[in-house]
Amino acid sequence: MAAKKETYTYTEAMKRLEAIVAKIEGNELDIDELGEKLKEAQKLIKFCRDKLYKTDLEIQKMLGEEENG
Amino acid sequence: MVNDSLFLVELNALVRRSIRACFPDTYWVQAELSDVRVNSSGHCYLEFVQKDAGGNSLVAKARGIVWANTFFRLKPYFERETGQAFVSGIKVLVKVTVDFHELYGYSLTVTDIDPTYTLGDMARRRREILDRLQREGVLTLNKELELPELLQRIAVISSPTAAGYDDFCNQLSHNAFGFVFYPCLFPAVMQGDKVEQSVISALDRIYGELERWDAVVIIRGGGATSDLSGFDTYNLAANCAQFPLPVITGIGHERDDTVIDMVAHTRVKTPTAAAEFLVNHLRQTAERLEDFACYIRQEVPSRLSHEKERLDNWQARIPSKVQMRLQKEGFAQERLSERLRVALRVRLQTEKHRLELWSRQIEAASPDRLLKRGYSLTLKNGKAVTDASRLHPGDEVETRLAKGTFRSIVKK
Repeated sequence: MAAKKETYTYTEAMKRLEAIVAKIEGNELDIDELGEKLKEAQKLIKFCRDKLYKTDLEIQKMLGEEENG
Repeated sequence: MVNDSLFLVELNALVRRSIRACFPDTYWVQAELSDVRVNSSGHCYLEFVQKDAGGNSLVAKARGIVWANTFFRLKPYFERETGQAFVSGIKVLVKVTVDFHELYGYSLTVTDIDPTYTLGDMARRRREILDRLQREGVLTLNKELELPELLQRIAVISSPTAAGYDDFCNQLSHNAFGFVFYPCLFPAVMQGDKVEQSVISALDRIYGELERWDAVVIIRGGGATSDLSGFDTYNLAANCAQFPLPVITGIGHERDDTVIDMVAHTRVKTPTAAAEFLVNHLRQTAERLEDFACYIRQEVPSRLSHEKERLDNWQARIPSKVQMRLQKEGFAQERLSERLRVALRVRLQTEKHRLELWSRQIEAASPDRLLKRGYSLTLKNGKAVTDASRLHPGDEVETRLAKGTFRSIVKK
C-alpha cells in the first residue's frame, strides 16, 4: 500500500484534502481512521505546498527546451 | 487666340484667389485618414478620404497637410486623448483651411483636431465588435472560464524588448510569498497594424500546446500611450473570447478598455498589475491550503483529545457505577435476608406452638399419668393386655405401675 506511488494533480489533492476536512467536520471518521487520514492529509499538504513554493524541475526543463529549441 | 490665353500659373493663381475668396474661414471636416506620412522636417502629409456607406469605394478625397509646428502639438494631444495613433484608417474631425497652390493644387491645411470625434468613432466600432460577439454567443466565454487554483505556467504574449515584460517577470519572480511561476514568452508585435495578426499567431502557438499552460497573459510595455487600435479588432477579440485558457490583459493604458480587454477573463492596467494579480491569485490558493492544513492540525489532535476525555470520563464513571451496582445488590441482599429472617422466625414460632400443643396432647395421652393416678398396665409378652379373655391360667404377665413393675402368674 505504502509502496504504491500516488500521482494526482494539485486540484485533485485539494479535493481530497477538502473531503478529509469535511469528514472530520461531519464527525464521520472513526478514531481508527483518524490517524491514517491525518497522515494522508499531511502528505497532501506537503505535496500542495511543494507545488506552490518549490520549482518543479520537470516543468523547468520543459520550458528550457522551449526556449532553446 | 494665343493672346486670349493664360499661362497655367496664371489660371491656377485665379483658381487660388477664387478659392480663397469663396472659403475665407476655417471649416470642421469629418474624414478618414489615409496615406499618412511625416517628412524629415516634421510636416505631415496625408490624404483625407470618405467612403460610401458600404465602406468599399471612395466618394471623396483631398490632400491634407499638417505643418510641423501644428503637428508637433496636435499629434501628442490627439494620441494622449484617444489612446490611438495618428495613423491611416481612423476617422477624425479636423479644422481646416481650404487652400489651392499653383504647383501642388487643392489641399486642406489642418489647424486643429477634435479627439472626442475619434473617440466616439472608436467606441462605436468597439460596440459593433462587441455586439457581433454577443450575437455569436462568444462574448463572455473567456470570462466564464475558471482560473485554475494552481495558476503557475503562464504563456506571456508580449514584445520581448518591452520594459513591461521585464517588469512582469521581475514582479513574478520576486513575489513576497516565494511562489513559483513558470512564465514563458511568446513574442508578438504589440504596436501598429501588425498587432492583430501577430497576437493571433502567438495565441495559435499556445493553442498548439494547451496542456502546458494554465493561462495567457497579454501585456504591453509601460511606455507612452500610443497605438492601441490593433487591439480593437474583431478577429483578435473573437480569438481571445474563445480561447480555452483564461486570458489576462495588461495592455498599459488608462483610458477606455479595448475590445480585447472587454472579452478577456481579467483586465488589469499594466504588466506589473498583471503580475500582482497572478501572485494574489496564488496567495488565495495558498491561503485555502493553509486553512486546510491549520484545520487538520488543530482538529485532529483536538478530536483525539476529545476522544481521550470521553474515555477518561467513562473510566472515571466505572468505579462509581460499580459501587452503585454493588450497593444496589447489597440492599437487595439485605432485604432478602431480612425476609428470610422474618420468615424463619414466623415458621419456627409456628412449629414451636405446634410442638407444644402436641407435647401437651402427648403428655395427656401418656400412660404415666394414668399409672400415677393408680392405674396399672398389664403386658403379656411385651404387649398390653386389654381383654381378660385373652389370658389363660399359668400365663405370666408383667404389670407396670407408676413406679416399677412386677411379674405374676394368672390363676384363673
